[in-house]
Amino acid sequence: MKLVVKNLKKNFGKKEVLKDINFEFEKGKIYGLLGRNGAGKTTFFNCLNEDIEINSGEFYIEDNDTKRKMEAEDVGYVLSTPNVPEFLTGREFLKFFIDINKKRIKEEKTIDEYFDFMKIEKEDRDRLLKDYSHGMKNKMQMLVNIIANPNVLLLDEPLTSFDVVVAEEMKQMLREIKKNHIIIFSTHIMELALDLCDEIVILNKGVLEEIDKSNLNNEQFKNKIIDALKEEG
Amino acid sequence: MIKTFITSFKLKNTYRTNSIIYSIKQFPIIKKILPDSLYKNSGLKIFANIISILSEIIGIFIGKIIYILTMIFMALSWYHTNQADTFIHIFTFLTLAGGVLNTYMLNPTKDKYYAIILMNMNAREYGLSNYYYQLIKLVVGFLPFTILFGMIAGVPLWIQIALPIFVLAVKLIVMNYSIYDFKKTNKASNENLPTKFVWGFVAVCLLLSYGLPAINITINVTVFLVVFIISLILGIYSLIKIHTFTDYRKMYKQILTASNVYMAENNAGTQAMKDISLKQIELDKNYTSNKSGFAYFHDLFVKRHSKILTKAVKKQSVIILIIFTAMIIGIEVNEELKNRTNEILMKYLPYFVFIMYCINRSSSVTQAMFMNCDHSMLTYRIYRTPKVILGIFKERLKTLITINLMPATLIGLGLAVLLYLSGGTDKPLNYMVLFVSIIAMSIFFSVHYLVMYYLLQPYNVNTELRSSTYKTVQGITYLVCWFMIQIQLPTLYFGIATIAFCVVYSLISLYLAYKYATKTFKLRV
Ligand SMILES: Nc1ncnc2c1ncn2[C@@H]1O[C@H](COP(=O)(O)OP(=O)(O)OP(=O)(O)O)[C@@H](O)[C@H]1O
Ligand SMILES: [Mg+2]
Repeated sequence: MKLVVKNLKKNFGKKEVLKDINFEFEKGKIYGLLGRNGAGKTTFFNCLNEDIEINSGEFYIEDNDTKRKMEAEDVGYVLSTPNVPEFLTGREFLKFFIDINKKRIKEEKTIDEYFDFMKIEKEDRDRLLKDYSHGMKNKMQMLVNIIANPNVLLLDEPLTSFDVVVAEEMKQMLREIKKNHIIIFSTHIMELALDLCDEIVILNKGVLEEIDKSNLNNEQFKNKIIDALKEEG
Repeated sequence: MIKTFITSFKLKNTYRTNSIIYSIKQFPIIKKILPDSLYKNSGLKIFANIISILSEIIGIFIGKIIYILTMIFMALSWYHTNQADTFIHIFTFLTLAGGVLNTYMLNPTKDKYYAIILMNMNAREYGLSNYYYQLIKLVVGFLPFTILFGMIAGVPLWIQIALPIFVLAVKLIVMNYSIYDFKKTNKASNENLPTKFVWGFVAVCLLLSYGLPAINITINVTVFLVVFIISLILGIYSLIKIHTFTDYRKMYKQILTASNVYMAENNAGTQAMKDISLKQIELDKNYTSNKSGFAYFHDLFVKRHSKILTKAVKKQSVIILIIFTAMIIGIEVNEELKNRTNEILMKYLPYFVFIMYCINRSSSVTQAMFMNCDHSMLTYRIYRTPKVILGIFKERLKTLITINLMPATLIGLGLAVLLYLSGGTDKPLNYMVLFVSIIAMSIFFSVHYLVMYYLLQPYNVNTELRSSTYKTVQGITYLVCWFMIQIQLPTLYFGIATIAFCVVYSLISLYLAYKYATKTFKLRV
């Protein structure tokens, strides 16, 4: 399975944020998406999630050489700012998500098992989400997206607000689930990208390019990435 | 200080101009025609500038003329007292009430927030210069109309001129008292959250201004003269105190919090609005829903928002019951009231469009739906699938209609009962029409607001209200309902027409919602 993006363009008025994106994301890999502030990473995710209309181009899923449209169930998107319905408790939110995704969930765990997995304390599970901390909300957002088991998982700077222990486990978890998913992961933390991701992709001047590691050592690779990022747009 | 004032005036004008351009751009058709570089377009900028300045000038007078015309001049005809004295009487007491309710200085406006908090301008200079500007506008705005209406009512010329100055003096005295209070307690009062004492004072003033003339008591020219001279002396003293007070910064820091400013301006955007909505959520630990999927989701939404849903309509219903009971007792004991009531019920049904508009909860509920629910949920693709959107739409429609029907049914029944008790009608169909048309209006407003919300989804990710179409529709809704107040039509015809309209409108708009909501219901960019 592949996610193919072809000639994708997105402008805001005159400003061309995404000029010509061409890329194939493959299943089983975690892609680290790097780019300067304002490069268009969030915009790119918003396009794939169909939050905003694209100006031209297309993207689709290619499965055994057959093209098909990317459906709602194909995408999970974890935003950098937490988005959870504040009037529900953590438990109710999970229940709702499990309810509406019943068909897609493979190995159903109990709600408490999910909570254990995300290290959300027992006493917090029945509190309103509006009283959760920033990081806890992010955890919930991450959790429901993983439960829904989408083919493509878009993560916009997700680990930044997690404490170190949870961040480590998240990384571990992403590695575990990656064989069945296409994971695109935007971050500003170079070490995280190098450590977790299989491919490094850079968004610069509105185009997406892969940075080839081939026979470079880590230090050289890092410098190459920084050089690529530094190129003025 | 003058420099500060000019800077602040320019600042205000700039963002007014920009928001005018912005609103023009928000209309879908215009958006397509006009280029995006519009903000730089100088022709349009000048146009917006002119509108901005015109609205400032018109703003000086428009409020004053409406105020004097509706609150004072039109009231004169109710009373048998001397017209000139009554004019002075009502004006004086309303001025006292207005004085404590609106000081200008303590009103947490967006302008002040931008200038003092965000741009860090000198608080004293900003506060004082704008305060003086407001006071000048006040006098200039009042003068033509105290002269005009004073002349018609036969008020002596010197009083026509003294009245605006009296208002000015009262404002200064109240402001000075606020500063005095602040120095003593270190607590600044937000004038948009008046204390019980203030409300009590206002109530007494209102009672005195409209109540006394009814029993043939008014103040006369001599009394006014005494009051005027005293307030003039106190006013001058207050002005000196206000001008020499230095701690404006500290005072404004307390008043100009984001949520205060939001309440004052009542315009969308900012975190403050979200915060206020979040406060509406209440957790009742004992309640769990045994539904599943989106029915479950919506069920919990309703439970957690009972403050603005079930509890709010229960309160309304109690008040409605009290009013009807009072009316029933009233018409039993007073023959004239009985006849008037019968007449009203047979002719003034349009008035109830406005009342039904006022008591309908849907507008604030759809806002909470967005702030506390859809704002975050719309970022989940699965929530935007047609099945979920329409499923939740259906649940919400049911809830809104049911909730609003509770007070509506009471009003419908109450009106029919009143009609019967006040002498009845020769066409029994009238009872039916009265009841059904009230119910139809209630359903109409519920459907109207929800469908508008789904078809125009006016908010963006930052919870800002971004749709001029939506604002226009809301404005028109208000205007039409307000216009209904002035109309008198036989209940039978107007009622039947209303019912027909509500049914047709609701069916069409529901059809549109089902057809298009899956495309239109998403976050704005
Ligand atoms: N709704 C919008 N209207 C106009 N311009 C926008 C809009 N959203 C984003 N932009 C512009 O598009 C560009 C890309 O923004 P985007 O948020 O995608 O950057 P990013 O790569 O996610 O940055 P960061 O690393 O800071 O999160 C920015 O210049 C931004 O100003
Ligand atoms: Mg971003």
